[in-house]
Amino acid sequence: MSDARYDAIVIGAGANGLVAAHYLARTRKRVLVVEQHQAMDPSADIGWVPPQVRKDLGVANLRVEEPDPWLTVPLSGGGTLELSRDVAKSAEAIRRISSADAAKWPEFSARMHRLASVLEKLYLASPPDIETRDPRELARIGSLGLFVRRLGKQTVIDLARFLPMSIAELLDDWFESDALKGALGALGIWHLRQGPRSGGTAFNFLHHHVGSPAGVFRPARSNATQALSDLKGVDVRRGQRATVLAKNGRATGVVLEKSGDTVLAPLVVSSAPPRSTLEPVAIELDPEFAWAVRNIKARGVVARGTFTAGATPAYWNLCIAPSLDYLERAYDDAKYGRDSAAPYVEVQRTNGRVELHVQYVVPGAHQGLTERVAKALNARPDQVTLQPADESLYHGELTLDQILFMRPVPGWSRYRTPIEGLYLCGSGTHPGGGIPGAAGRNAAREIV
Amino acid sequence: MTRYDAIVIGGGHNGLVTAAYLARAGKRVLVLEKRPRVGGAAVTEEIFPGFKFSMFSYVVSLLRPEIIRDLDLPRHGLHILPLESTVTPMENGDYLAAWADHDETRRELYRHSPRDAEAYDEYGRLMHFMAQAVKPILSMVPPDPTSFAPGDLAALLRLGKHFRGLGAERLHALVKLMTMSSADFLDEWFETDVLKATKSASGIIGTFLGPRSPGTAYVLLHHYMGELDGVFRAWGFAKGGTGAVSEAIASAARSFGAEVRCNAGVSKVLVKGGKATGVVLEDGDELAANTVITSLDPRRSFLQLLESSHLPDEFVSDIKRFKFRGSSGKVNIALDSLPKFTCMPDGGPGGRLHRGAVSISPSLEYVERAYDDAKYGEFSRRPYMDIVFPSMIDPGMAPPGKHVMSIFVQYAPYNLNGGWTDAKREAFGDAVVNTVESFAPGFKSKILHRQVITPLDIERITGLSEGNIFAGELALHQLFFLRPAPGWAKFNTPVRGYYQAGSGTHPGGGIMGASGRLAALRILKDGK
Repeated sequence: MSDARYDAIVIGAGANGLVAAHYLARTRKRVLVVEQHQAMDPSADIGWVPPQVRKDLGVANLRVEEPDPWLTVPLSGGGTLELSRDVAKSAEAIRRISSADAAKWPEFSARMHRLASVLEKLYLASPPDIETRDPRELARIGSLGLFVRRLGKQTVIDLARFLPMSIAELLDDWFESDALKGALGALGIWHLRQGPRSGGTAFNFLHHHVGSPAGVFRPARSNATQALSDLKGVDVRRGQRATVLAKNGRATGVVLEKSGDTVLAPLVVSSAPPRSTLEPVAIELDPEFAWAVRNIKARGVVARGTFTAGATPAYWNLCIAPSLDYLERAYDDAKYGRDSAAPYVEVQRTNGRVELHVQYVVPGAHQGLTERVAKALNARPDQVTLQPADESLYHGELTLDQILFMRPVPGWSRYRTPIEGLYLCGSGTHPGGGIPGAAGRNAAREIV
Repeated sequence: MTRYDAIVIGGGHNGLVTAAYLARAGKRVLVLEKRPRVGGAAVTEEIFPGFKFSMFSYVVSLLRPEIIRDLDLPRHGLHILPLESTVTPMENGDYLAAWADHDETRRELYRHSPRDAEAYDEYGRLMHFMAQAVKPILSMVPPDPTSFAPGDLAALLRLGKHFRGLGAERLHALVKLMTMSSADFLDEWFETDVLKATKSASGIIGTFLGPRSPGTAYVLLHHYMGELDGVFRAWGFAKGGTGAVSEAIASAARSFGAEVRCNAGVSKVLVKGGKATGVVLEDGDELAANTVITSLDPRRSFLQLLESSHLPDEFVSDIKRFKFRGSSGKVNIALDSLPKFTCMPDGGPGGRLHRGAVSISPSLEYVERAYDDAKYGEFSRRPYMDIVFPSMIDPGMAPPGKHVMSIFVQYAPYNLNGGWTDAKREAFGDAVVNTVESFAPGFKSKILHRQVITPLDIERITGLSEGNIFAGELALHQLFFLRPAPGWAKFNTPVRGYYQAGSGTHPGGGIMGASGRLAALRILKDGK
C-alpha cells in the first residue's frame, strides 16, 4: 500500500505546479510532483512569466518570444493592419485606417500600461486581506494604496472607472476604427463567457496586458513549462492522476488512480482546478465552503488547437475579430448554449508550431466548428485540429466577482483550504490564468 | 429686477426637494419649470378624457423617509397605496406569483420547486441585510478617493469601517452583488427559471444591459431597499398618480415660501468672473440669484446651459463621456374592461392579479433575447414589460367601470437603427400590444386608446437626454464619486455658485429625492 513518503506532494506539472514545487524544494523539502498526462504538452505557455520566478529558481532555458509585429489584423477592404512593438510605428500603421485613432494610440498605450502596472504589483503577492486586523497586513494595504495614489490622480480615477466597464465602452471612448477595436476588444473576452459589451471585460483586457510593454496588447509566449521541467531537485511522476486524501480535516497524501498507490505527505499542493481538487474530500468540508466551491464559475469557452499551414505564415499573430459587434454576436451564440457561428479566431505562430485560440466554443457536439474555423482562415478543414475545453482553462473565469480576495472562493484567497495541509496553487487561485508561475510562487511563499 | 437667493432650474421632484429644503431654511427661492406643470418625469396627466395616467414614472418606493418627514408630505397630500403582488404569466399557461402574504408566496414557490422555496427565506434575509448595509450610502455625500483633504480621508475611513463591520460573509456577498450579472447571482440560489427571470428583470430597468450582463445584480437590492411607512420591500402608487408626489413636494416648498413658476424654460446660466449670477429664460428675461441650482441631467446642465469656456476641459470631456443610452418606453392604455390573462382568467380571489403588477418575463432567455434586439439597434420584438392597472387601486384614475393600464417596456433603444419615426413608434406599440395579447387573448379588443412613448418622446417631453429615465445610466462606473464626473460628485460644480441636484448626481434614479436633499444641505453648508 503505502510505498513512499514525501514532505510535500504537488498535483500537476504545469508552470504553476512546478514553480510551487521548486520553491518548496528550496526549503529542503522532499517534493513529489504528480502529473496526469504522460507526455509533455508541446504548446507554448501564454502569458507573462514574472522575472522573480526566473531569478529565484534559476530557470536557465526560459525563452520568451517577442513577436514583432505582435498582431496582424486583416482589413475588410483588403490589406492588413500591423501593430508593432514600437508605439510610433503602430500609430503610423493605424493612421492608414484612422488618423484620429493614430493620434490617440500613444496616450492610450501609456494609460493602459500604467493601470496594468497596478495589477502587476497586486499579482506578485497574496491578495490584500480586507478583513484583516493584523497591523502588518494593514500596512501593506496602506502602502498599496499609496503606490496607486503616487501614480497620479488620473490613475485612481481610471481604475475606478475602467475596471467595472465593458471593453466595448472603454474602446468606444478612445477609438473609431472597427478593425482596431475588434482586435483589441478580443483580448477583453479571453477565456470569459462574456461579450465585449459585458461589464468587467475592461479588467480582463488589463489583466492580459500585465507584464507587456506599453502598446503591446497580447501576452508574451514562452517555453516556461518546458524550462521549469528541466530544473532538478524534485521528483516528477507522469501519467498518474492523483486524488487528495484527507482524514479528520487534515491532508494525508494522495492516491494515484491508475496504480492505486498511496503516497503520504503532510502537505499537498494542487495546481488542478479547485473544484476537482476539493470534490473528493467534500465530506471534510463545511457546507458553506462546499457551496462556494460548487458555485465557482468555470465554464469552458475556448478551443485551443493547431493549424498546419502549407508554408510558414507571413505573420506572427493573426487576429480574426473584425469588429466589436462580430465578437458580441459570437458571444450571443454561446449565451444560448451554441458554438459561435462566426467565431473569434487567433493564430499564434510560435517556435515552429502554429497554434489556435478559438472562442466561443461551449460544451456540446461542436458540429461544423472545424469547418467554420478553417473557412475563416481560408484553409482546408484537415489543416485545423481543435481541442475544445469543457471547463475554463483558467480554472475559474476572471470576472470581477472571482478575482483578488474572491478567488478561488470568497475569503479563501490565501491558497489555503479548510483542510489543514491542503493548498491550492493553480490558475484557479489569485492572480488567475495567463500569468504562468505567479500563483505557484505566491502559494509557495504563503506555505513557507 | 428681483434678486433671489437661489434659482432652481427644473421642477422635477429633485428640483422641488432642493427648493423646499432651501426655502425651509429661510432662503428666497424660485423654481423654474419649462412645462406647464411641475413634476418632470413624475407627472399625472389626463391623456384621454376621463383617463389619468402617471405618464412616465409610475411607482414609488425609494422616496427617502427623511424627506417625507422633513417636508411633512402627507399633510401636503401624499398618500401611498400599496402595490403588493407580482404575477408572471408563463408561456405554458402557468404562472408564478409573489403575493403580499409571505407564507402564501412560499407555498406558491414550493409548487414550482421545493428547493427554491427553502432557499427563498435565506435569500430574503441576506438581501434585506445587504440593503440595510448599503442604505446609509444613499444619504451620504460621496468622498473623493483622489483627494488628500482630511474630510475626504475621514469619510473614506468611515466608509471602510462601515463595510468591514459587516463581517466577511456579507462583505463578500456585497462584492458579488456589485459585480455579477443578476442571472449568475440568482443561479447560485435558485433553479426555477421564471423566478430568476422575474427577479432579474428588476435588475435591467433603465439600463442598457441584459440579465446576463455583469453589473445588474446590484439592482436586485433596490427591491429590498424600498421603505414606505417604515415597511420594507413595499412598492406603491401615489394616490392621484406620481404627479401627486411632485405636487405634494411643490406644495411643501410653497408653504415654506418658495415660488414655483411653470412655462418658464431656462436657456442659459449667467456666469460672471467664474461665478453663476443668474439665468436667462427662453423668452429672454434675465433673473439674478446668488446661487443657481440645476436639477437637469448633466449633459443639459453643463453642455447646454453653460458656455464650455466656463468649464475645465477635462470636466467637459468627462460629461461628454457620461452615458445615457435610454432603453425604456412606456405604453399607456385606456381600457374598456380588464384583460383576462390565460394563466389566471378570473384574476384570482378579489381580482388580485389586477391589483398588483404583471411582469412579462416568462424566462431568462426571453428577457435576454429582448436585450439582444436592442443591442443591435432594434426595439424588442417580444419585450420585457411591467404592467400595472392603477385604476384598480385608485379608482379616480379612470371613469367608472373603465380602467387605465400602464406598461413599462424594455427595450426600446434611443438610437434605433434609422431613427425613430411615427411609423416606428406605432410598430413598437404594436409589438407591445401583440405580446400582451399572446398572454391575454382578447386584450386588443378592450383597448379604447393607447399612447406610445419612445425614449425620443421622453427626451422631447421631459428633457431627459436620450430618454434615460435615471438622468444618466446607473452603471458602476457612473455611480458614487464618479456621478456625474470624478471630483465633482459633491453637488458643487466647477462654476462657483452653480450647483447640481438632479438624478445625474449621487445616488440618482427613481423617485428618491436623495440627490435634491443632499444638494440643498450642501448649499446651506457652503452658505454659512
